[in-house]
Amino acid sequence: MRFLDLANRNFKETYRDPLALGFLLAFPLLFMLIMGVVVGGETTPNFPIGVIDNDHTQVSQAFVDEALAEVPALEVSTYDDAATALKDLKFGDLKAYIVIPDGFGQQVTQNWQGDEANITLQMTYDESDIMISDQVISIINTVTRAFAQIEIPITINANPIHVETEITYIDFMGPGIIVFGILILIPTSARIMVRDKEKGFLARLLTTPTKPVEFILGYSLCLVVIAIAQIIIFMVGAWLLGMDIVGSMWLAFLIFFLTGLCSIGIGMVVASLTKSENQAEPLCWLFAMPLAVLSGCWFSLEIVPSYIRNVAYAFPYAHAIDASRGVLIRGVGLEALGTDLLFLVGWAVVIFAIGVILFRRSMRS
Amino acid sequence: MTSNRTESTKASDDLAIQTFNLTKIFDGLIAVDNIDLNVRRGELFALLGPNGAGKTTAINMLCCLLKPTAGMATIMGYDINQHPFKVKEIIGVSPQETVISEHLNCWENLALVGRIHGIKARELKIRSQQLLETMGLAERAKDQVRKFSGGMKRRLNIMMALIHNPEVLFLDEPTLGLDPQARRAIWEYIARLKGEKTILLTTHYMDEADFLANRIGIMDKGKIVALGTSTELKISVLEKHTMIIYAWNLTQRVINEMRSKYDEVEVTNGTMIITDKHLDFKEIVDLLHASGAVVRSAYIKEPTLDDVFLHITGKELRE
Repeated sequence: MRFLDLANRNFKETYRDPLALGFLLAFPLLFMLIMGVVVGGETTPNFPIGVIDNDHTQVSQAFVDEALAEVPALEVSTYDDAATALKDLKFGDLKAYIVIPDGFGQQVTQNWQGDEANITLQMTYDESDIMISDQVISIINTVTRAFAQIEIPITINANPIHVETEITYIDFMGPGIIVFGILILIPTSARIMVRDKEKGFLARLLTTPTKPVEFILGYSLCLVVIAIAQIIIFMVGAWLLGMDIVGSMWLAFLIFFLTGLCSIGIGMVVASLTKSENQAEPLCWLFAMPLAVLSGCWFSLEIVPSYIRNVAYAFPYAHAIDASRGVLIRGVGLEALGTDLLFLVGWAVVIFAIGVILFRRSMRS
Repeated sequence: MTSNRTESTKASDDLAIQTFNLTKIFDGLIAVDNIDLNVRRGELFALLGPNGAGKTTAINMLCCLLKPTAGMATIMGYDINQHPFKVKEIIGVSPQETVISEHLNCWENLALVGRIHGIKARELKIRSQQLLETMGLAERAKDQVRKFSGGMKRRLNIMMALIHNPEVLFLDEPTLGLDPQARRAIWEYIARLKGEKTILLTTHYMDEADFLANRIGIMDKGKIVALGTSTELKISVLEKHTMIIYAWNLTQRVINEMRSKYDEVEVTNGTMIITDKHLDFKEIVDLLHASGAVVRSAYIKEPTLDDVFLHITGKELRE
């Protein structure tokens, strides 16, 4: 099998090159470590938030008293009207306040019963501190989803609600950092492929009976192995830095793996469009940087305008972060990830197909 | 195997490489211009010419890397356009740039090409060992090749073209950029392959073509402008001979005598250069002796391939 020989060669060329290996493994780890030191640590944040319950149902009551109150990161006070809460927010006594709208309880109940529901919360928050408001939004989101997405409809009191009790910053940022690391596979993949084109290795082996598809398989296999190694290192690294893994590790791995395939595909496209590493490198970052910004790995996409959010969700990385946060922080299962996973699979298949077609074409000329 | 070989070449089974009006045009630039070439089996044929003459383009077409704009070629009877994969199975190519995997050792580099050609592990090991020994790399076989000198890398570059025992070998500038000692070593190895394999070599070093090739095709601006053995080519330009004499006590009388006998006689600082269509070495030396001159050395200058190139194209073949 020629592609196995090629993959073996590509792999050796990479792991025997200390610089390349360093870039592949140490750089993301170092990055993660810095993030961990900066944002991690033992301190659990404590955010004062206000709640105005306009629903006045048993359900909304339970949401406030049990779900929200159980989160140590939140210090919940109830208000009778929004005006008072707004005043406290402006004075800095609150980081945010939530209005539970009329009908909330009914919608949540509908969701519990398996019917379609539209659960909304109105939230007003202090914009000046993006990092904190990000976390508050995330926490409220997490709590609300956990609260509303219970699958078996039984009374609230008899059913303990799972709320991750310590959502630290690393829990929130971990998946984003991992996805950012996987984004760096774009330049890595492009570099490995374009280097051989630049140095004439492809041309040399094209004078042997090797077929173009065998080259592509040889590169893909090598890069998939690299992707798997990176993901394992990232996950272990994030875990060592204190990221809790609530849900299935394997499911999270699957999400990251599909994301990795998308990165490899984009890298292949870049390698097809360029002739040298010097051309490929800037083109890669031209792709990777906007993708990183739009992935939501630095800040929550819930604070950006909706049209930007639409653009962000046209690419796989935002889906990957949503899905992996769901699994790692909230412990959601496969059934709740349907659309995100399907999107990732679809993206991986399409970008890979484009990459293969373009790379074959670039080899012919 | 013969079933795929084209009709036209069955008549000339002793030819390993044949081209018919082979032409390559890049965006209006004619890189290779209507080349007709016949290389016999077991022959070492050198394409000699300056950089940009079209040698590499010609080789790349024969290796099925480039599609000809016009014309055709066969390698051991296989048409390069119709059966590129048949051609690729029987050729070995050592490209102009040293293309090796820097983080692999010799064994691994050789094994990669060998396996691609489907050579069995045992045969691969034997052939690798043989090549490593004849090319003098056996002791460094397990070192990553990025630590190698330029000459060692070039040798490995050639070995990788030989590992699968190809019928036809293409060597594109095999000693490019090497010091004289390293070049010698490679020449000696190529000379050993002579007769065993059909070799098409390109070079812009005239001494390389002179030393190695059975026949030489001189290329300029995409065309083969002269073709023959080294001697044939040199004789073709031999219209006048030049004799160079270093002597003491050259008298004006003997100089005048020489001038009356030969077309051109130049004398500077004890050196006499005589040029004419016919030169009698013995007569000249005897005349000088008789005049009382002391001849320290005298020789008739052989034309070089550079002279051939200069004669045909009107410019020098720069090294």
